[in-house]
Amino acid sequence: MAIDMSGSRTVSDGRPGSARPARRQRRRRGQFVQALPYLLPAGVLYVWFLAYPMLDAVRLSFYSWSGFRTQAPTFVGWGNYTRLFTADPVFWTAFRNSVLWVGMSVLVPMTLSLVLALALNRRMFGRNLFRSVFYLPAVFASITVAAMWRWIYNPTVGTVNEVLSAAGLDSWTQQWLGNPRIALYAVFVAAIWQGVGFNMVLFLAGLQQVPTELVDAARVDGARGMQVFRHVTLPALRPTFVVVIILTIINSLKVFDLIVGMTGGGPAQSTQVLALWSWTQSFQNHNFGQGGAVATVLLIISMCLVVPYLAWALRGEDR
Amino acid sequence: MRHTRSAVVAGIAVAALALVAGCSSSGGTASSSTDKVDLKFWMLTLEPSQKPIMDKIIADFEAANPGVTVTLEERAIDAHKEALRQVAGTNAGPDIYRYWEGPGLSGELISAGTSLDLASYYDKYKWNDRFTSAALAGITQYGGYNGVPFTLQGEALYYNKTLFSQAGITAPTTYDELIKDADALVAKGITPIEFGGTVNWHVMRLLDSLIETTCGAATADTLNTTQKGWDTEPCVTQAFTELKTWGDKYINTGFMGMSDADAQQLFYTGKAAMALEGTWFDGMLTDNGVNPDDIGIVPFPTGTDRLYGFGEALYIGKASAHPDQAAAFLDYFTSETAQKEASGAWAAMSVNKDVAPAATNPLDALWPTIFSNASGLYVNNDQNLSLDETTEYWRIQNSVLTGDIAPADAGAQFQKFVDSK
Repeated sequence: MAIDMSGSRTVSDGRPGSARPARRQRRRRGQFVQALPYLLPAGVLYVWFLAYPMLDAVRLSFYSWSGFRTQAPTFVGWGNYTRLFTADPVFWTAFRNSVLWVGMSVLVPMTLSLVLALALNRRMFGRNLFRSVFYLPAVFASITVAAMWRWIYNPTVGTVNEVLSAAGLDSWTQQWLGNPRIALYAVFVAAIWQGVGFNMVLFLAGLQQVPTELVDAARVDGARGMQVFRHVTLPALRPTFVVVIILTIINSLKVFDLIVGMTGGGPAQSTQVLALWSWTQSFQNHNFGQGGAVATVLLIISMCLVVPYLAWALRGEDR
Repeated sequence: MRHTRSAVVAGIAVAALALVAGCSSSGGTASSSTDKVDLKFWMLTLEPSQKPIMDKIIADFEAANPGVTVTLEERAIDAHKEALRQVAGTNAGPDIYRYWEGPGLSGELISAGTSLDLASYYDKYKWNDRFTSAALAGITQYGGYNGVPFTLQGEALYYNKTLFSQAGITAPTTYDELIKDADALVAKGITPIEFGGTVNWHVMRLLDSLIETTCGAATADTLNTTQKGWDTEPCVTQAFTELKTWGDKYINTGFMGMSDADAQQLFYTGKAAMALEGTWFDGMLTDNGVNPDDIGIVPFPTGTDRLYGFGEALYIGKASAHPDQAAAFLDYFTSETAQKEASGAWAAMSVNKDVAPAATNPLDALWPTIFSNASGLYVNNDQNLSLDETTEYWRIQNSVLTGDIAPADAGAQFQKFVDSK
């Protein structure tokens, strides 16, 4: 072992200054080996219940299979994907709707949640009551929310059309769930109603972490409300934004039960999304190969959207 | 350390012994429980009027067969279809299940090996002599004897006599008369007919009937059973054009966003003059407080003399561990005694040829004449088409109704889908 000019110890490769990282690496490896028995049970469950079904869905996408155990799958190579992209009359509608749903979910409910959180973060009369009221829809099962909104949108006895009629706005009444041009947006309104409270709670939690002394200092320096929000509150909320955006993207990509309950993907498949179309192909049409192909496309989109953002966010935390 | 290791080894040995003991013990229990048989019976959700009848039939069977119990599991239509497809080929399926006949529904399950061929039981119980020939035809259509007939359902136009009288019209006997009636109802501010679009198969009944009307029996059969000619037969465009007209002028407002149950409320409450329903609707009407004397039934006037309808059967699961007991239950269920108990509960006419048509509901009494006047049946297309073809058929039907597909393009789009498979 040699000593370099600066006095730090070197390892046998002779490179100066590499001893400390090597020791750290050895220590980390030791910690990992020690942690292994504790990680193993969870790891096995993860592989069995999560990784395997996911990989199996990808494998199935290269087969033609009715889903009956009595009928063996037939290997068709890329056939399901070719059919999906060129001959499936619903796939591109479902694809477009899924992308639209993710975009709208990131923009609309998140903005509303932030506004609500900011409004309910100040001392005011009935603050907890308002927080509870806005959070309440988040605890309902999606299928319950769907049933409620189906009645609200009912073209003959629904609240929306009745209120519009009572207000003399008969020309504004619509077949909210029966018109393919507006049905997806009508379902999305129900999704906002259900989802905004949960994000509001996350933002409220984030707002508690904003250092009051920074806000006070900014005010002393003459910053006004909007300036304080932009230069102090917003940067402090960055970790919360990471969580909210990732959760929103994941939840919006897998939207399923609300659409099943409100429109079943109709009218004329106009509210189809990828998750529902994958399920429909597999369990309704009994075409598990096609269903697997749709699920694989959804998986790739999810990975493309979530993994880079997650990696970037986690790297920030490691630092 | 050595003590600890020994303790671990001893622990594992004790656990292994316990497991083995547990296995033997459970084996003993299983063997002692072989005297008791529980038959799982999967049905569609029963109407309030059907439930006590089913309970009575099961109770009578159980009383006559000690040690055999029947556990009924009810599901809604789509949930029932899905549950059966999911358990097909596994041991988790029912011993007995109710299902619709036809290549697209039962045919698919049968080809997947989910149904037991009951030929030996047909000999044992002489079932060939029990059922009407029309009911038996639905059973033998796949070759062999899969299932026993449960119902033979006719579908027709139910009309509200009061609303017809207000509009000054009578029951239609031709398609032109039907259109005139619908126009007269619209002129009086009455919704001519109700449908719920969210379930697809409800509106499908109208499209199926329009294809029968515009194409005639022979062409309709070719289209529906061979899935050929959808892009070349002019009558297909004509049928879709008529469908669009019905959607625009005669069906209840907002039907595309309503379920069948929501839409039926319009007929129950006298807000729609007609409903295209089947024999099961007789009981639903009285269950929902409708006076049956105020209702008439007339076949959809297709001009072919064929009646719209389908059959249902009770099947024994191929994986059933108790096929003999299940067959005994089916024998009792379709016997004269049980069918008299069930008279009119699931259909106006029994599949047992020795049982007279139901007399409890006045509407049931209308069906024997309707059946006897018909020269045959044209079947619901979700029973003719395969599952993915049905999904596409519904998409095109709904797209025509919403104006997203022109009637002239509808047939070609369906044929393109069929040919691309």
